[in-house]
Amino acid sequence: MFKALAQVALRRLLDAVPTVFLLSIVVFVVLRALPADPLALLLPPNATQADAAAMKVAMGLDHAVPVQFVFWLRDAFNGDLGTSISFREPVTTLIANALPATLELSIAGLALALLISVPGGLWFFAVRGQRKEVVADLAIVSMLSIPTFLWGLLLMLTFGVAFGLLPFAGRVDSDAILPSGTGLLLVDYLIRLDWRNWLSALSHLALPATALALGFSPMVIRVLRSSLIEASSEAYVMAARQRGLSETRVLIAHMLRNAALPAITLIGAQLGFLFGGTLLIESIFSFPGIGNLMVQAVRNHDLPLIQGIVLVFCITTLLINTLVDILYVVLNPKLRKSS
Amino acid sequence: MEKYLRFTKREFCATALGLPLSTLFEGEALAQVSDTLSIAFPVDVQSWDPTSVTFPAGQSIYKCVFDSPMHYSTDQKLQPKQIKDRKWLDEANTRLEITLQDGILFHDGSQLTMEDVRYSWIERPQKDRRLAIGGMIPDMNDIQIVSPTKGVIIFSKPAPSVEYYLGFLAAYIIPKAYHLRVGNEGFLEKPIGAGPYKLVDYQRGSRIVLEAFDRYWAGVPSIKKVTFQILPEPTARVAAIESGRVDIATQLPFREAVRLSSNSNLTSDIYDLSEVFLLQVPSYVEIYKNKDVRAALHLSIDKQALSKSFFNGVAKPLSVLATSGSSSDVPGYNFPYDKARAIASLKKAGYDSAKPLQITLQATNGTYPNDYLIARALVAMWKQVGINATLSEITIAKYLELNHSQKLDGVMLYSWANPTGDPENFAGRILNPDLRFAAWRDAALAPRIAELYAMKLTPQRIEAYKKLQIEASENSWSIPLLQTVGNVVSKKGIAVPKYAAGYILPAEFARRR
Repeated sequence: MFKALAQVALRRLLDAVPTVFLLSIVVFVVLRALPADPLALLLPPNATQADAAAMKVAMGLDHAVPVQFVFWLRDAFNGDLGTSISFREPVTTLIANALPATLELSIAGLALALLISVPGGLWFFAVRGQRKEVVADLAIVSMLSIPTFLWGLLLMLTFGVAFGLLPFAGRVDSDAILPSGTGLLLVDYLIRLDWRNWLSALSHLALPATALALGFSPMVIRVLRSSLIEASSEAYVMAARQRGLSETRVLIAHMLRNAALPAITLIGAQLGFLFGGTLLIESIFSFPGIGNLMVQAVRNHDLPLIQGIVLVFCITTLLINTLVDILYVVLNPKLRKSS
Repeated sequence: MEKYLRFTKREFCATALGLPLSTLFEGEALAQVSDTLSIAFPVDVQSWDPTSVTFPAGQSIYKCVFDSPMHYSTDQKLQPKQIKDRKWLDEANTRLEITLQDGILFHDGSQLTMEDVRYSWIERPQKDRRLAIGGMIPDMNDIQIVSPTKGVIIFSKPAPSVEYYLGFLAAYIIPKAYHLRVGNEGFLEKPIGAGPYKLVDYQRGSRIVLEAFDRYWAGVPSIKKVTFQILPEPTARVAAIESGRVDIATQLPFREAVRLSSNSNLTSDIYDLSEVFLLQVPSYVEIYKNKDVRAALHLSIDKQALSKSFFNGVAKPLSVLATSGSSSDVPGYNFPYDKARAIASLKKAGYDSAKPLQITLQATNGTYPNDYLIARALVAMWKQVGINATLSEITIAKYLELNHSQKLDGVMLYSWANPTGDPENFAGRILNPDLRFAAWRDAALAPRIAELYAMKLTPQRIEAYKKLQIEASENSWSIPLLQTVGNVVSKKGIAVPKYAAGYILPAEFARRR
């Protein structure tokens, strides 16, 4: 089994190389094709044309776009994604500082989404044909029609303002000292057994993660329910029932395992959207991740930073998809054989 | 009753759900009342090198950490700060002697001296042309160091008005020895200044935590800890102050600031800022070279109606590029709102209802108070006289790029900040064709503005600038609209000094107990 998993991982990672390369070309060319002039933001108010020309040379913008790309690629291989125009700091430093926050938020959002969608899918399946199904259907459609950022605002106004139960800005209380370590606050505070700040980090994650989860779950609930309905008429389910197994056991031990495969495929495909959803959510909740950084970069027309973040988004999404493929192989024996 | 009800709900929910979180928040609230302050703030700093950017919105934070050589009081008067004394050594105003306060220390305990001033204002900008300080005070050639606290700034041209800029943008002093030791990246990672607060924690786009500097030359601030909670989303700032999670929120949507004024737990202050809403007219676009077209654009704007509709009539309509009551203002001059004249001007330019004038209006959305709504109202006002304007959303960065390369294709709704109140930083810069801010780039104005720049700070200088301001309005080179209105909402008991520049300076706060 491990051999099969390693093969899948290796194949996926090899496939990812040309994808990343092609994407970096597309991003590089598109950003340079825009009628944007990064020099305008870098130069002081009294800059002359000569200053502009000197700056252009210093930044390598006097070369043709393909040559600029080769230089950029060479530097990127050495871990240098350039310097941010608006923040005047290395892009790699900015991204490295912001990425853990986004990863933590995405993981928390995914965990919550699974906590909502798996029981939700099972319940939705269980109430099929009953009056409750109409209510459940209505709830799912309503959830589907509310975009993630609106969930964010609704949750903030309800639990942050009206009831004052949960914080809605930043990652931790202002008096908390940020620990060094992984950058994942829940992990870092846990290692230090700092429960007060761990709780603070958890409470700060609650609303943005729930907003992401609520935007993500309804689709999974629907797919899981459909898969369960399909599985319910399969021969192995009939056989299990004839063996006298309880309906709950049939559902959990037999049907769910098989019905989970399409849901996992969907989750894999949607994870990129969940990761992308952090863009607005981080901005609303003042969460210092790369989504927030991206919004600032776009607002400031900071081309090197936009390019760097897009690259990181792309690589992260490809890695997530690889992990999902591995999980798929773990759950599906047929794929293990074919591998 | 409202407070009681909210507290009961929270207490009830916390107890019912068994959440330990409420205990944490309660502790936080108690701490805030004693000596900490949290501020819901709309922007983060662009860079921790304050000399590298001209960024009016971030000056509150820079002033906390770096202090400033000069300072504008709440009534917009220039006052000594790190520089305690200044005098011109020559008639031509090319040699300015400055004396620093005694005993100014940086946060690492080292003394701030003229070496640091020279490094920040001369040595670094001469090496790095990107630093904004070089652009803000362009003719500064050298600083002769007389003693650790005294020096003479040498200008290549007469610079009588330079003192105005020592309390405005980019003119900050950073520690030479520390900057050289840690390098620029190290400095940006861990900046130190000589301001009333030290930076103790920074999460980009999220929060800035400051701690009172116990060796600040002007005395230790009474508020020991300040957190700037960066909340670019206006709704989040409203939610933060309404829920009591922050002590102060700034630049809320105008209607929200008005609504919150009826909240018995909060104080909502709405006040004039030293900023003007204006329309930048690009002279490099053919259609705007026609004076009658520009006149029609200007005459058809009912500025009073804009103020009433979007600022409850609080924002002052402007006839010149100057804030009301500032030294640049021209009391008694009024540019009319006259639809009939606007239609006549359009006709003279060859346009009427059968052949309407087609233009583009560029506006930001959410960058300035009610910016996009004002732009929509302008489109409607122009429609009434036969101008069909297409409204297009733009960012400031994009505007600067397009204007820099003379590719802006329409008029731009812009806001110009000028805490100095001096006309040089209104018409003198807005219309200076050599600067990238200028959209109206008339080469003929360059020598005139250069001459004004070199004039001594006399009433004649102000009069000469006022003539230029009036001429700019009469010719609609740039169209002044309204004085910008700002707001700050705070918990009852916190006295927030209101600066026309919109600064929030916790070191200046006095708490009423």
